[in-house]
Amino acid sequence: MPSADAVVVGAGLAGLSATLALAEAGARVHLLAKGHASTHWASGGLDVAALPRAVTVREAVARLADDARHPYAILSDALPPALEWIRGMLQHEGLPYVGTIDGPVVPVPTSIGATRPAAILPAAQAAALRPWEPGERLVVCGPGGFKDYWPHAIARGLRRAGAWWGSAGPERVDPLVVELPGVRDRLNLDAIELARLFEEPGWRWDAFAAIRRALIIGGLDGPGRMALPAVLGLDDHAAVLAEATSELPLEPFEVPLMPPSVPGLRLYRALRAAIVRAGGRVQIGQAVVRIGVRDGRVVEVAMEAAARQFVVRTDMLIMATGGIAGGGLVGHPDGTLREPLLDLPVEAPPAMSWLAREPLAAGGHPLEAAGIRSDAELRPVDASGRPAGPAGVRICGSLLAGQRYLRERCGDGVAVASGWLAAGAHRPSAPRRDAPQSLAGEVAG
Amino acid sequence: MGERMLTPDVLVIGGGATGAGLLRDLARRGLRCLLVDRSDFGTGTSGRYHGLLHSGGRYVSKDPSAARECIVENQVLRRIAAGCIEDTGGIFVATPDDPDDYVDAFPGACAAAGIDCDEIPVTETLRREPALSPAIRRAFRVPDAALEPWQLIEANLADARAHGADAWPYQRVVAIQRDGRRISGVTVRDERSGASTRVVPRMIASAAGAWAGQVAALAGVELMMSPGKGTMIVYNQRMTDTVVNRCHPPGDGDIMVPVHTVAILGTTEELVEDPDDDETSSDEVQALINEGEALFPALRRMRVLRAYTGVRPLYRDPAVQGPEASDDGRAISRSHIILDHEARDGVEGLISIVGGKLTTYRLMAEQAANAVCAKLGMSEPCTTAGEPLPGMGDSRAHWLGHRLAEHEDRGGGDADLICECEMVTRAMLERFLDRRGPCSIDDIRRGTRLGMGPCQGGFCTFRAAAIMAERAPDGHTDRAAPGGSASDPEGALSTFLNERSKGTRAVAWGRQLQELWMVTGIYVGVMGLEGSSSEHGGEATEDHGAVS
Repeated sequence: MPSADAVVVGAGLAGLSATLALAEAGARVHLLAKGHASTHWASGGLDVAALPRAVTVREAVARLADDARHPYAILSDALPPALEWIRGMLQHEGLPYVGTIDGPVVPVPTSIGATRPAAILPAAQAAALRPWEPGERLVVCGPGGFKDYWPHAIARGLRRAGAWWGSAGPERVDPLVVELPGVRDRLNLDAIELARLFEEPGWRWDAFAAIRRALIIGGLDGPGRMALPAVLGLDDHAAVLAEATSELPLEPFEVPLMPPSVPGLRLYRALRAAIVRAGGRVQIGQAVVRIGVRDGRVVEVAMEAAARQFVVRTDMLIMATGGIAGGGLVGHPDGTLREPLLDLPVEAPPAMSWLAREPLAAGGHPLEAAGIRSDAELRPVDASGRPAGPAGVRICGSLLAGQRYLRERCGDGVAVASGWLAAGAHRPSAPRRDAPQSLAGEVAG
Repeated sequence: MGERMLTPDVLVIGGGATGAGLLRDLARRGLRCLLVDRSDFGTGTSGRYHGLLHSGGRYVSKDPSAARECIVENQVLRRIAAGCIEDTGGIFVATPDDPDDYVDAFPGACAAAGIDCDEIPVTETLRREPALSPAIRRAFRVPDAALEPWQLIEANLADARAHGADAWPYQRVVAIQRDGRRISGVTVRDERSGASTRVVPRMIASAAGAWAGQVAALAGVELMMSPGKGTMIVYNQRMTDTVVNRCHPPGDGDIMVPVHTVAILGTTEELVEDPDDDETSSDEVQALINEGEALFPALRRMRVLRAYTGVRPLYRDPAVQGPEASDDGRAISRSHIILDHEARDGVEGLISIVGGKLTTYRLMAEQAANAVCAKLGMSEPCTTAGEPLPGMGDSRAHWLGHRLAEHEDRGGGDADLICECEMVTRAMLERFLDRRGPCSIDDIRRGTRLGMGPCQGGFCTFRAAAIMAERAPDGHTDRAAPGGSASDPEGALSTFLNERSKGTRAVAWGRQLQELWMVTGIYVGVMGLEGSSSEHGGEATEDHGAVS
């Protein structure tokens, strides 16, 4: 039976961060997950925090951390070094990120023609972060025959009053649909297919030439930038991005699309590559079905496998199983929300008030804040702050109660900081402090 | 000032199946007619039923005359509206809990009503529909089918238009004027622009169904409807390709209808005061599933996409005593009745058609048209049973794969497929938009089925919004349909998603809750769709949130 210093369950940003931090520290670590996570449909940016009337990320984080029930109340100290660390890792894997937690949160265009607040983005989206100078134009440019990027509708949305929150946006926004070689007639065309096309040097040479021609014919010159769908290569992204930047007369930036998210895939792949390089193991495709517990401690983790269970012996379990979207929390018809692996106590509003009447109303659904409460070292606790579940368990990411990651845009920051912190607490060199002890006072602050 | 005035022969109020059928019938008899609906066509009871074309089997023991009407109209619709029908066939199955006397009498009762009914061996039934409970004891085959309501309504309206009639959506009747006993005019308000129109018809035919009492009240006529609320739930798969009924006296959760790519479990029954009471509770949903498990034991493990309610236009004749007068909605007849308000209430120029069911819409329309013609001193015969609806002359029934086959025949690429679940192509969408002009995404949904499949619009809605925006000329602000418009795709998206989420509230658990979270995550997190994104960093300059 294989054994590991730690098992991480869940392949989202929290699980990947925890696994990478452990592997880097020399631990034998095994990541198990039933499938891919939110990286595959998210924007690929790092959403750390954004709140109305908070100018910087740091300011938003501080405001969230003021609420003792928010994960940032525990994580805000770990957050800056954790972000620094993961960005270093990503840079090393050829996926640099731009922006800082002290820079302003700014509106960046989305593929429905709205804007979303952002501050830390991959290099391919970085040009969207810079303030718009007077006289600068934005050309929204996409391939004809691609149904997940509609330049006319996007441009129309971005011209609307209020789209740029009252701050200075581009002086004008123009749509540009360009016919790229062979795209319109393909039978199956999604973002990944397009990204693969861009990895063919000859094809992309022709594609950039076609875009240049269309810009000239459309009279769309002058200072400005262009918004392209986020399909500039997958594995060979750095080369495609460099060539796009040098070949196109307007500075390009990528706009994230409906799933599958190419920028999110790049993020996932970069972290996975770093984990493997550091000696960690990643096993995705089957669900973890059982956590073995003996004498109140985790002893093994069992994953479904063909005709048997695959069991890893370990006394450290990092649960990064996700919130409701990821399946780490499961809603039941009887109105309960449960954590399926260890049946940890879940903090949730009563069933009658799970959902808001309008999902897009400010504040979102009351159920969004549901999750597992933890102590300062990310051990699960119950409603009264007493340890819950077996010893040897840490929880992180969107499983943590008290965050509304969609509205506060804090999901990636919580994931990275909690993954990093959970791993730190489990490093072989770190003192073990798994004996039950109440930190409720500390948590409640 | 500026108020339009129209003088049709007949004003039809209500754009459900009955109203549309009535408009067609009257227009074909040579009358100049106008139909108005307060909302889009087919948004009331017609668009919110379980999708069943009754064989009549459900009514054979309690209401044999309704059963006979059903089978006759069933056969008529197969001739004139084949394109809206999927000939699934139907079965009545007896579970161990169903009363022997009812089951034993069932085939005879069908025969008496003129319904073809064969008993088929249980083993064969289970081979054809393996998701059915293996505990079933007997099974009877009847000619049930699935009927798509919006296409049916559109086809009726198209034929009416071809015969000179007009039909207006989003036009609410706000006042009915009387000159003594005689109705002298009607004021209709455009729900989008607020403009009003005065209509002075020779006759009004109210086909407002469950809302008929409200229309009658405007004319000073008391008409007590007993709206019967029924809840249905939509599954993300067809666990059966045949309509499955339980062979027992009609109750909750005893029918499953395969409809296009999904299946619908019906129905509950509750009398309500207000026909606009469309709240679905999770208790109702749980009760439905509990009952439905007798037919399909694995039901609880299947994913529910949404729950919705429809309101039956039940009418209790005040003169009738006995069980009909009870509070049990199922005791009220499903038959229809035409109320002549001149004879009944002394008000000239108004009839109402109440009761009934979608399967008999054409018959109801025929009888209502007869009543209208009699009032107007005309004797033209009805021709709606003989003439196929436009575009349905080839009498080929719809089948599940037909959209895919058509798409492949044309050699269409993936880029043309806007809604993958329901196989809605860009050309279908554009044709609908050409016909309808400015409209909401919800209108598109009813017109094309876009967003009605397993993803419930998560991946196709924004494409539809984008295509609408592409078609609208730059800088153009169109007359908005309630629920967003081409000039505001983001507003249209918000409204649509809020509306879809309403249907999820009562079924928010398991996979469907997960799906709701993912879709919300994509639209809010990645796409920046918010009630007021302008809140960030500055003052709110515009409210592009939901239209309430």
